[in-house]
Amino acid sequence: MRQPTVGEERERYDGIAIALHWLIAAIVVAGFTLGVSMVDLPLSPRKLQWYAWHKWIGITVFLLSCARLVWRWQRPAPPPAAMPEWQRRAARVTHLLLYTLLIVIPLSGWLYSSATGVQVVYLGLIPLPDAVPKDKALATVLRMVHVTLNFTLLALVCVHAAAALKHHFVDRDNVLVRMLPKGFPKPKGSTG
Amino acid sequence: MVLLRSFIPSLGMLLLAAGQAGAQGVLIDKSEIRFESKQMGVNVEGRFRKWKANVVFLPNDLPKSKVEFDIDLASIDLASEDSEKEVQGRVWFDTARFPVGRFTSTSIKNLGGDKYNIAGQLSLKGITKDVVVPIALKKDATGNSLAEGNFTVKRLDYKIGEGLWADTDTVANEVIVRVRMVLPPIT
Repeated sequence: MRQPTVGEERERYDGIAIALHWLIAAIVVAGFTLGVSMVDLPLSPRKLQWYAWHKWIGITVFLLSCARLVWRWQRPAPPPAAMPEWQRRAARVTHLLLYTLLIVIPLSGWLYSSATGVQVVYLGLIPLPDAVPKDKALATVLRMVHVTLNFTLLALVCVHAAAALKHHFVDRDNVLVRMLPKGFPKPKGSTG
Repeated sequence: MVLLRSFIPSLGMLLLAAGQAGAQGVLIDKSEIRFESKQMGVNVEGRFRKWKANVVFLPNDLPKSKVEFDIDLASIDLASEDSEKEVQGRVWFDTARFPVGRFTSTSIKNLGGDKYNIAGQLSLKGITKDVVVPIALKKDATGNSLAEGNFTVKRLDYKIGEGLWADTDTVANEVIVRVRMVLPPIT
């Protein structure tokens, strides 16, 4: 395992972690937007496509998030920036919940799709086994679970992004910059 | 509507049975007409809830044998009520104008080993095409005969799913029809 050699490196996330973070962020936004848009579409080829794409995105989020967790375990995150203890704890809890939701939400979608009797076939090529047998009552519950978890994720993502911006523009530390590709200037007047 | 009645072997058929010593009804509760297609690569299954059949199957007298089905297309059973409503619509089955799908056999060929090819005409939405339904026949413990077979229908041959729905990348053109008929013993 390659260890960062320069002091600068240890403060930053590595390239793979950064790439995974932003890739997951982008497709989560796409998947969420598709999800809220597709449900109200009238039955049409577009609706079938959007549902399929939504599910493919979900599986991709699951796979990339697993990769992200494995990578993070291999290369621990840089040490937290200087901040009050309650903020450090809040950040820890938020990150833990974000990772959990990124894994659990796709699973809840798979369960929900199975309960409605629609098999999930990743990219139209790789069939997933049915998580549960077709069950209308269960499907209603799972739909609610899936939607609730997603809006919880939305709230957490807002908190997460707001905190990053606050660190950048108010605290002027390197919390945001260390998750951006190299070359982004640190905030003016920063010490970190 | 007559077709909506669940099947009861009609008096006529019973008379036919008496006369020919070989006519059969179909045990409708044990029989089924299912189909399977693909949407975005996902297998989607369904069936028809209401249909009736006129089957006279005489392995020793195939020219006198006959297989006829009338399928109430509006009785389609799909995963959701939305889809069921949709496929009854004008661009799909158009069940308001074409409520019945019909299969009529024209000839039955013995392939040996209890396998038969039933050639016939399938009419859907005012379009009639020749089809061949291969079936395998076996006897079950109660003396009934089980006839099973499947064949592929190209939905666009019958203009089923027109317009936007004609895109076969979303909904495949091929629909596999699976027929399972339980026939009482020949009397």
